[in-house]
Amino acid sequence: MSPEVALHRISPELRPLLCSVVRNGRVGLDSTNCLRVTDLKTGCTSLTPGPCCDRFKLHIPYAGETLKWDIIFNARYPELPPDFIFGEDVEFLPEPSELPHLVQWDAGNPECLLQLVKELIQQYHHYQYQRLRESSRLLFEYDSLLEDPNYGRNMEIYAGRKNSWTGEFSARFLLKLPVDFSDIPVYLLKDTALDPGEDVALLSVSFEDAEATQVFPKLYLSPSIEHALGGSSALHIPAFPSGGCLIDYVPQVCQLLTNKVQYVIQGYHKRREYIAAFLSHFGTGMVEYDAEGFTKLTLLLMWKDFCFLVHVDLPLYFPRDQPTLTFQSVYHFTNSGQLYSQVQKSYPYSPRWDGNEMAKRAKYAWVTAWKVFAFCMAKVNSCCKYLKDQSDY
Amino acid sequence: MAASISGYTFSSVCYHSANSNSDHEGFLLGEVRQEETVSISDTQISSAELIQVVEIHNHDPCAQLFSFYDYAGKINEESLNSILKDRRKSVIGWYRFRRNTQQQMSFREQIIHKQLTELLGVPDLVFLLFSFISTANSSTHALEYVLFRPNRSRFNQRITLTIPNLGNTSQQEYKVSSVPNTSLSYTQVIKEHGAEFFDKDGVMKDIRTIFQVYSALQDKVQAVCGEVEQSERVKEKIQEDVNKLKQQIALRKRKTAEEEKRLRESQNADSHSTPEENTEPSLASPLSRITFHTPSAPERPSTSPNPPSYADLLSQDDSLLSSSSPPTSAALLPRPQAVGSPGHPTPGPLGMALGLGLGLGTSSNPVTTPSTPYLGNGDGSSSDSLDRQAAGQEDDEDDEDDDEEEEDEDSSEYENLVSEAAHLPVGSASILAQGRPAALSPDGDARGSQTT
Repeated sequence: MSPEVALHRISPELRPLLCSVVRNGRVGLDSTNCLRVTDLKTGCTSLTPGPCCDRFKLHIPYAGETLKWDIIFNARYPELPPDFIFGEDVEFLPEPSELPHLVQWDAGNPECLLQLVKELIQQYHHYQYQRLRESSRLLFEYDSLLEDPNYGRNMEIYAGRKNSWTGEFSARFLLKLPVDFSDIPVYLLKDTALDPGEDVALLSVSFEDAEATQVFPKLYLSPSIEHALGGSSALHIPAFPSGGCLIDYVPQVCQLLTNKVQYVIQGYHKRREYIAAFLSHFGTGMVEYDAEGFTKLTLLLMWKDFCFLVHVDLPLYFPRDQPTLTFQSVYHFTNSGQLYSQVQKSYPYSPRWDGNEMAKRAKYAWVTAWKVFAFCMAKVNSCCKYLKDQSDY
Repeated sequence: MAASISGYTFSSVCYHSANSNSDHEGFLLGEVRQEETVSISDTQISSAELIQVVEIHNHDPCAQLFSFYDYAGKINEESLNSILKDRRKSVIGWYRFRRNTQQQMSFREQIIHKQLTELLGVPDLVFLLFSFISTANSSTHALEYVLFRPNRSRFNQRITLTIPNLGNTSQQEYKVSSVPNTSLSYTQVIKEHGAEFFDKDGVMKDIRTIFQVYSALQDKVQAVCGEVEQSERVKEKIQEDVNKLKQQIALRKRKTAEEEKRLRESQNADSHSTPEENTEPSLASPLSRITFHTPSAPERPSTSPNPPSYADLLSQDDSLLSSSSPPTSAALLPRPQAVGSPGHPTPGPLGMALGLGLGLGTSSNPVTTPSTPYLGNGDGSSSDSLDRQAAGQEDDEDDEDDDEEEEDEDSSEYENLVSEAAHLPVGSASILAQGRPAALSPDGDARGSQTT
């Protein structure tokens, strides 16, 4: 149910409360998924006219699960606080004194419901922690992470459904990795269809048993970050070492991610430097270059009355990866109607050179390459001429 | 645990709930009983089962929500008292009605329930949840109700709530509900008009009169028992007398038989009776084969057309008695009749034996007439003995082979005398003349006539 439909059907007195929930509701770590509302029903008699729905199901993402809580208002008494049914968590019973927004419920405050839900989530977190106590190993994991200020404050746990047949205990840890994505160049983040929202990286570690023998880690990145880092296949996290601890593993993953991000940032700057250098060396011959992402560069060069184009493609992981050169003739067409071009990848190159160095060396290197190219061009020329003469005959 | 609610209380709750424009709540009044059922099955002698029965008599709706608790769910005891007043003691649960929600206790309901359990001091407070579900076009509405027992373990929380007579009463009987009616008007009317049906103890008058009839019948039965006992004692006494007399008779007869034997032996030593001796064994053998046994269930065959005179019976008796052979084989004689018998002439000693012999000699039928089982009862009615004789006749044919069995089967308390004919001499015509062997059976006449 889309938020608009929900807002339309709900009783007018309750509309502001629901509005803040569906529009701005970000609860928990996974804020890319906002709160969803379904099953909007009414508590009034069926003869009551107009929008009078006052009870609904709220879907809250938490630790990789979705909590489905029923929230029950009374449309005839909108000033009264709501009641909750916590779905399958029949043993979850928070202490009302821990819910200040319930005790001092203010129906006039549109944020009241959202705040109450946040407080309930906090209590739910406590409740899950209590359930986690059944496994000492996992409890240790939790406590050790809690001590670290980097991770402790941004952790959600779900102490899982104990399988009543086999007595298996499972748990899931969802951690927000403290990686700084702010330096990622904006252009990389722009290219997504969705509202990027907050850039976040979440690490979800599932323990399928209490002894931590089956552990499945998974990294979730917000779409823009994923794109910036080169897609979902670009980042592979190492497997959880058997017998290892989260307190060792999580920083490892964090570091890996940070390195990747750093690399991307560096790459950007390097490319910028490269193009700047080329601009200064070949300034007059510059046709065009990518001024945002610095990924492409096109030069028009002349040597001994022979003009040609050089396209330079800079890869994402420049300078680790070598740029691709494409020589293109301005005179000749291939059979398919394209300009004749030749790709050159093997030329002297080292990632350790700086931009200036690369530009200088490029000049010399390209001459040789160009010579070959020119020779080819000449040959092509003569062939064409010959053919032309032949045809005259 | 079982629970029941009377139909009118249930409908009243539904009425209040369905007419409210929001959620609705109230209290359930009633009582909790303990019932013990003892059941006997093939595997166990008895197993006692103790169940608690919750009966809901009445309900007390709350006028509005949050009337006795605040936003945090904390109960205000004063408000609770002002709502319940003096009915607080009979509160056994509370109910809540909400539309279009799950059948599960909500957060606030659980908190309130815990507090109510403590405040009211009812350890097993029940919670009745009504849920009203309507279809989208409001064509069908479903009222669902679940009774919870939240103070027990999580897995055993729901109790079935029975509403007596809610169902298909064409197939079942209309049951009188065990849930009593606590309405004041009802009790008043019953008080006024009850005197016509009930006596001062509260028991229905009809029941009392029936009980009186029953007591009277019981007294009569007791009296009859007494009479039966007395008559049985008299009968027993008479039986003993009869037995004694019989023993005396038997003793006397044995003595006379022994004397005559001695007499005969001394006579026989003089005379030589070869032909009789030859025939004797031939006569003896069929005679010895004659066995009778008392049938366990005495039959009552039709009386013979010519019942013999008592004299005949006696003579037959005596002739058999005169032999000194032990009473191992079959011949059962008719007994002298103490009561109701025509006369008691002195028994002729040998008449029977010769009659026996004659009977055997002339007819191919090895059955002998006088040997009949005496199956008479203590009354000594003659007809019985005659009948028994006939019965004895019928049995003769079967019994020929059952010489030995006869002793065991003899359950009669009367002595069975052996057919002494085996040892009797065949001899004298006088005895023959006396003997009337065949009169006792349908065949007997013919033989008798043959012989004479």
